[in-house]
Amino acid sequence: MYLPWTVKYKPKTLKEVVGNKEAIQKFVEWIKSWERGIPPKRAAFLYGPPGVGKTVTVEALAKDFKMELVEKNASDYRTEEAVKRFAGLASQYGSLFGARRIILFDELDGLTGTADKGGVKAITEVIQTAQCPIVLIANNAFDPRFASLRNHCLMIEFKKPSTTEVLRHLKAICLKEGIEAEENALKFIAQRSEGDIRSAVTDLQALAQGKKRLTYEDVAWLGFRDRQETIFTVLRMIIYGKTCEGAKRAVNMADVDVDMLFEWIYENVPNHLTDPHDLARAMDALSMADVYRGRIKRTQDWSFIRYVIDFMTAGVAIARVNTKTSGWTPFHFPERIQALSRSKEERIIQLEIGRKIKRRCHISAIRAAKDVLPYLKIIFKNNAEMAAGIAKWLDLTPEMVEYIAESKEKAAEINKFLG
Amino acid sequence: MSFEMWAEKYRPKTLDEMVNQKEIVERLKSFVKAKNVPHCIFAGPPGTGKTTAALCLARDLYGESYREYIMELNASDERGIDVVRETVKTFARVRSIGEVPFKIMILDEADNMTADAQQALRRTMERYTETCRFILCANYSGKIIEPIQSRCAPFRFTYLPREEHDKYLRYIAENEGVTLLDEGLDAIYEVCGGDLRRAINTLQAAASLGKPIDAKVVYSIAGRANPADVRKMIETAMKGNFIEARKQLREMIQKYGVAGSDIIRQIHTEIFRLEIPEPWKIKLAGIVGEIDYRLVEGADEEVQLSALLARLVEAAYEVKGAKKV
Repeated sequence: MYLPWTVKYKPKTLKEVVGNKEAIQKFVEWIKSWERGIPPKRAAFLYGPPGVGKTVTVEALAKDFKMELVEKNASDYRTEEAVKRFAGLASQYGSLFGARRIILFDELDGLTGTADKGGVKAITEVIQTAQCPIVLIANNAFDPRFASLRNHCLMIEFKKPSTTEVLRHLKAICLKEGIEAEENALKFIAQRSEGDIRSAVTDLQALAQGKKRLTYEDVAWLGFRDRQETIFTVLRMIIYGKTCEGAKRAVNMADVDVDMLFEWIYENVPNHLTDPHDLARAMDALSMADVYRGRIKRTQDWSFIRYVIDFMTAGVAIARVNTKTSGWTPFHFPERIQALSRSKEERIIQLEIGRKIKRRCHISAIRAAKDVLPYLKIIFKNNAEMAAGIAKWLDLTPEMVEYIAESKEKAAEINKFLG
Repeated sequence: MSFEMWAEKYRPKTLDEMVNQKEIVERLKSFVKAKNVPHCIFAGPPGTGKTTAALCLARDLYGESYREYIMELNASDERGIDVVRETVKTFARVRSIGEVPFKIMILDEADNMTADAQQALRRTMERYTETCRFILCANYSGKIIEPIQSRCAPFRFTYLPREEHDKYLRYIAENEGVTLLDEGLDAIYEVCGGDLRRAINTLQAAASLGKPIDAKVVYSIAGRANPADVRKMIETAMKGNFIEARKQLREMIQKYGVAGSDIIRQIHTEIFRLEIPEPWKIKLAGIVGEIDYRLVEGADEEVQLSALLARLVEAAYEVKGAKKV
């Protein structure tokens, strides 16, 4: 029962189609005009960005008007010959069983030059003699290939539905699936889809299927996925850049700040510059960028940022001399940042212990955590009695004892001596 | 065996007990005799007795209740300008009522004070000279601003000579009933290089194992207690594995909090032991020096040191290429 939700919740009637009310209205009127005889334009050309409901509209209309839909799409061959064979169908208004017929040429963008040679010409000819409505669908109707075709068609533009319209659709799906979704979670998905309902529904399914609740946290990473996409492009422009200018321009594309971009570059350079000379040059450039970061910090003069950028982008780009571009090397999230937040908690308790040591040992807490704590760990591991003595002398809390002993068992042993 | 920190238990209490820094101790004794102490800078590497000297001086000067007359501040923990403005000033301006007309402020790890805090300190030192004398302890006197330096009597502390070091550790071992073998003692000196606090901590940690202390025990302690395994990191880089070497560097800095300056000092020592062409050694030394300076200026430790690692990878690569030809 794992139907894609795009199929499961595909609109069955025109009423259910999201947005594009005007376009649909125009389309319906044109279909209705066939009842009064053949209209001046025998074909309708529906065009617009992907996922806004063009094909769905035609399908729903066929159902609403109880028409037979005959479809050709990119997966079929559309050479002149193939289209002509198909054309016989178009010469009759109705099918053998009395139902009226619509002929649909979907995904016209997919017509390729050689394989579908003569396809456009053939379609044009079919239209001129058609006895039943013909519908063409493409993303870009203004492709020069379609120039002559356009003259014979009623052009109907499909626009991106608004966020509100997409949101309403997502809400309806959640209701049917029994998912309790946070408003801002759905809004996030809707906004991110930029009017592409198909991708919004796909995302919703990926995130929410099998869940009872959908929260904002569940979806927020989607945004991160996007940002990674752009950061990868930016990194590629820098690490594989050929000119200083090009590498520097990448900074404007990045939607992370300069410090974060630095971390991304610093993390990934070694994986992508395998030649030792190249690597040394690149790391050198990064270290210079870092020097200027320090100078900004010290002087609070942010105009130095331009040198930071020069070195971390152009400096890295021109470092590449010997390394060959071979295969595909992935980019990683800056590990240093992850490690930093991971060890933060540890540093807090270390510092607390450091403060205890400081009170007795005339040494700063920071220094104590660094210089004395490692020895305490050895003592606490090996000699519970001595450890207990020191714990008492330093007035350590049970949590501290357990941290230094590095195990609950050891800590218990030490506590026995503490009584 | 006693169950407190030995480094503290065996810290000298009076200037007479101080075994090292003879010349310094003599001059400090003359201060005590005259009951007058100038502002001082005690500069020198860790574990050479700077704080101890300051505390001993105070005890000799004020007697057993010396704690009432001194204040110890750790600039690493309290390094901001607010501390100087509030804590230091409050302490400095209140006249003491003893035989000695001034109090002593010990500013430990003073080289970690921010520049503006040092500027503020300078004024405080001037204004309250009559009521308070300052002893600034620092690893590098160069990190203390010139105007303060010029107001202080400088004392340069050096690592303990080998004999003093051995005598001291033997004394502690005997007193604690611990068997310290000669090779163990050698190893401690090699590992700690005359840093007495570290040496005593190593001795105590080794003693906690409850075995006679031989070289093996010491090295295992040092290995665990000194995560700055710089040699291993260099080896990794020389094998051409930059990414792994950088990971080791990261671990030292982030997980164990090893200071970049410590790492760079060790790298500097190791460079001249490497099997690389002679010109490369001096080239690397130049890079190390530059990076050392950048760190003092406040650059990012990992970024700078990993640039150095990349140069090591490059040096090793050249050697390998040369051998092939």
